[in-house]
Amino acid sequence: MSDLLTFDDIIFKSRLLIGTGKFSSIETMINSIKASETELVTVALKRFNKAKTEDDLYGPLLELKNVTLMPNTSGAMNAKEAIRAALLGRELSKSRFVKLEIHPNPHHLLPDPLETYEAAVELVKQDFLVLPYIPADPVLAKRLEDIGCAAVMPLGAPIGSGRGLATKDMIQIIIKESKVPVIVDAGIRSPSEAAESMELGCEAVLINSAIAAAENPVKMAEAFQRSVKAGRMAFEAGLMPSTESAVASSPLTSFLSSYD
Amino acid sequence: MKIILNGDTHSHEGNQSINSLLDELKVNKNHTAVMINGNVVPKENWNDQIINENDEVEVLVFVGGG
Repeated sequence: MSDLLTFDDIIFKSRLLIGTGKFSSIETMINSIKASETELVTVALKRFNKAKTEDDLYGPLLELKNVTLMPNTSGAMNAKEAIRAALLGRELSKSRFVKLEIHPNPHHLLPDPLETYEAAVELVKQDFLVLPYIPADPVLAKRLEDIGCAAVMPLGAPIGSGRGLATKDMIQIIIKESKVPVIVDAGIRSPSEAAESMELGCEAVLINSAIAAAENPVKMAEAFQRSVKAGRMAFEAGLMPSTESAVASSPLTSFLSSYD
Repeated sequence: MKIILNGDTHSHEGNQSINSLLDELKVNKNHTAVMINGNVVPKENWNDQIINENDEVEVLVFVGGG
C-alpha cells in the first residue's frame, strides 16, 4: 500500500477531493460524494438563517463514513478574515484541515497571493494543515511549502469556469519543484482533464462545479473517481517517451514486395 | 438590550449567555460556531460567556462550498 495521499500523519486512499457547493439538493451531493469515493470534502461557513435551516450540511455530512471535512475560508477578503474563518471552521469541524482561499475580486475570483501567504504563516503556527488555493506560480508555491503548508493547490483556470488546465506549463514546474502534494483546484471540467493532471504528477485534484453542475452529478462523480485512479496509475506506470517523428511498432521488412 | 446578530439588530434580554441566545434561535448547537466581536467563542464557554449590549454576534453553520 505505497500509493497513498498523506498530509502529516493523515492518510487517504482517495486522490479526489470534492467541493460541496452548487449541488441541486443535499441528497444529490451526498450520493455524489459516495460515488466519488472521496475522503476529504470542502465546506463553507455561512450565517445561520432561521428561515433557511435546510442550508445546514453538517448533519448529512457527519453521517458519511470515512469522510473528513475541510472548511474553506471563502468570503475572506484578507488574511485577517481568513484566519478568523479558519478558526471558526476548526471549532466546528474539529478538523485540522483548512482550504485557505482569499479571492477579493468577485469578477475573476483569482487568489490574492500576498494575503494568502500572510494567512498561511499564521495558520501553520496554529497547527492547521493548510491547503492554500493559489495562482499557478512556482515561486509562491515554493514559499508556501517552505513555511509549512501541507500542500499547494494551484488553479487550472478560474473557479467554476470549466476552462481546464489553462495553466498546465506552470503546474508542471510546480510539480517538479514541490516536496508537498500539488493539487489542481479549480478550472477542471472533464474527467480527462483530471486524468491529465494526475498523469502530470499531481497528487490529487479538487473538483466541485464539474460534478455539481453536470447533468447527472452522481454519474459524473463516478467518472471522476475512475479518471483520477486511471491518471494516477498511468503516472506510476510511467508514460512512454514522445518523439517528433514516427517510431514503427510493427516490423518493416519488405518480404511482400519480393514476389513482384 | 440591543445586539447585532449576524449583521442585523436584534433585541435580546440582558445578562444572557450564548447558550440562551442559541436556544432562542432554535439552532442545532452541535452544528454551530459562534463569534463575538470578531473572537471565536469555544463551545465550552457558551454557558458562561454573557452577551453584552451592542455586542456583534455571529452564529455560523456549514453550507456547501468548494
